[in-house]
Amino acid sequence: MEQLIRGGGPAIPKGLGASPRGEATPNELGLTPPAWPIFLLVAATLALALLSILIGAGSVGPPQALAFLLGRPEAVENSYVHMVITTLRLPRTLAALVVGGALGTAGVLMQSVTRNPLAETGLLGVNAGAALGVVLGLTLAAHTGRSASSLAWAFGGALVASLLVLAVAATGRVGASPLRLVLAGSALGATFRGLTSYLLVTNADVYEEYRFWMLGTVAAVPLERVLEMLPAVAAGLLLALLMVKPLSALFLGDDVARALGHRPGLVRAVVSLAVTLLTAAAVAMAGPISFLGLIAPHLARALAGPRLGQQIGLSLVAGAGILLAADILSRVIIRPHEAPVSVLLAYIGAPLLILIARSKRMLILHGPGGQNR
Amino acid sequence: MNPAHQPSHVLGSAVTPTLAQPDRPAGAPPGTRVLRAGSLSVLVPLRAVLVAVAAGLALAAAVVWSAAVGSFALSPWEAARAMVGQGTPTAVLLIQKIRLPRIVAGMLAGAALGLAGCLTQTISRNRLATPNTLGVNEGAALAILAVVLATGNSLGPWWVGPLGGLAVALALLLISGGPGTRSYRFLVVGIALAALIDAHINLVLAQEHITTATAVFAWTVGSLAGRGYLVALPVAVALAFLLPLVLLVGRPLSVLQLGEEVAASLGVPVRRVQVAVMLLAVTLAGLAVGIGGPIAFIAMAAPILASRLSEPTRVPLILSGILGALLVVVADTLGRVVAGPVEVPVGVVASILGGPFLLWVLFRETSARGF
Repeated sequence: MEQLIRGGGPAIPKGLGASPRGEATPNELGLTPPAWPIFLLVAATLALALLSILIGAGSVGPPQALAFLLGRPEAVENSYVHMVITTLRLPRTLAALVVGGALGTAGVLMQSVTRNPLAETGLLGVNAGAALGVVLGLTLAAHTGRSASSLAWAFGGALVASLLVLAVAATGRVGASPLRLVLAGSALGATFRGLTSYLLVTNADVYEEYRFWMLGTVAAVPLERVLEMLPAVAAGLLLALLMVKPLSALFLGDDVARALGHRPGLVRAVVSLAVTLLTAAAVAMAGPISFLGLIAPHLARALAGPRLGQQIGLSLVAGAGILLAADILSRVIIRPHEAPVSVLLAYIGAPLLILIARSKRMLILHGPGGQNR
Repeated sequence: MNPAHQPSHVLGSAVTPTLAQPDRPAGAPPGTRVLRAGSLSVLVPLRAVLVAVAAGLALAAAVVWSAAVGSFALSPWEAARAMVGQGTPTAVLLIQKIRLPRIVAGMLAGAALGLAGCLTQTISRNRLATPNTLGVNEGAALAILAVVLATGNSLGPWWVGPLGGLAVALALLLISGGPGTRSYRFLVVGIALAALIDAHINLVLAQEHITTATAVFAWTVGSLAGRGYLVALPVAVALAFLLPLVLLVGRPLSVLQLGEEVAASLGVPVRRVQVAVMLLAVTLAGLAVGIGGPIAFIAMAAPILASRLSEPTRVPLILSGILGALLVVVADTLGRVVAGPVEVPVGVVASILGGPFLLWVLFRETSARGF
């Protein structure tokens, strides 16, 4: 047990849970965080959101966009500027905020529940599973003529994928060795992507619409779809908030958590449900975006320290901010073309993955003592 | 101990580690026969030979099947006759000019991938370590893509793929500190590099016109459409040179299976063998990518199947090559016929079939050796 707590790497906050007096105060559970990191992150994210409306790959420059936002008549009456801002940049900015927040939260939850600093929905193939679900639903809808709820299909795909990956994690001599889980996830993800491209290649009309979505992008998300997914994201976040306290108790070990009145199996199931819900909604909007669930929680942990509640809050904001920044960059980096936003995240995320894999902490869980269930 | 100094063991892969003593008394060990020609003698492992012959027959059957099916279907007998130039002129033209070149190209790519996978899996003692997960395939694909986009040809010169793969392998070795005891770190760094290169390929393609992007699509998933003798020939020549080298490292490699310390104490120059094996594996994978792009899972599945079929002490190099060729031919043929008029790229078929296979491997890995 000692080894596990030491070996969990950055995913395991130290000294969490009940206070020495036996009563958990809100502060120790991270419900009232120190002000400055949150303030800084929120301010940066808001600034990025503004920037995201001002900057684009096209011809509407920041001055025109700013004039529109300030309600100057010459800009508001310009139908082109009006169209660009309201149907392109505004939905896109909102989508980046919601998707980034959902994936950032899903990442920190997944890492906490698996005690694996590399457990990220993209790396574990859950995003690819959700994407496969969406395309499967579309293909069936095209054949039967009925419309399909992309959220439900994404949820089904994400659920199957996370169950498969967690089953792999639960078997094997080395238990849920962090690196091994990533290997299994990346291979499963490749299969899901293979099936998705098979479905896309054989359905020409679906292919045209989803070619870019497949790569992961917030570029063409309609406002209706963002609004449609908002309840699911809200539900996922609510579940996450409810689970802060029990999940923190779980870090002390299943026995301690039981003694504190929590049911470990139930807690894990509910957290996994929240992860699946958040991932499904994000993928249904923006396609499979990898690495965000790795980058955001690591930034959040660096700022917030060990408290889980704070980590979740900061991860949410950091995920939104990072996705916004990457999306803004993706519009200007190869102008006049647009790069898929997932590409930019991979440029940051892959080196981070290498750094984590190289850190000494990763090796501790790798031995035969890695059984943690 | 350099195997080249031991003429009686030049066919290194045919010798198991338990037979490492060259001065063993006369008489063949169990399960082998001795072939003698004057002063030269070779140990022939019976089971390995039988399995290899069976796999070769299966490959021949797959080739005939692949040549027979398609939009213009022939009977297997007609297809086999057309391969040797008999039958209707249409059938001969179709088989000899269109289907057979593609099959040969696929076989060579598969054989190279199977060999490369067997080498990387053995050296890192991990079934998941393949040119695919190590980023070598992606590196080769990116190098080829860069050359293709720069020159406007749809194919790159044969040496570009190995060069790209080599660059990634070098980066991988430098960053991760090599395979061996920390093999999972080695693998995850490989996955990260693969993701990085994939992202870069997508960035490059995003700037291209849609027609160009479609034309070079094969280099991102693996496809044999339109491949033939032109790309296959240099790879065939290179394979003819590399195969003896691969067999030569087979013997120290089978000792390395026992662990680095054991191998070192038995006189195997561990570092040198590891470097030689990595070089060979990367070159082979790069050559394979030059034919059909980064076809996934072949390099993982072929050696696993091969070692299931052969004895546990043996490194089944030849069999991995044959099975790799078989898998690619079968996957490519499935991709041609399964969706009617639309052709599914061989890389996509391989990915789809590879997932369940991988799950099976992961679930039974508790009992298996080498994880």
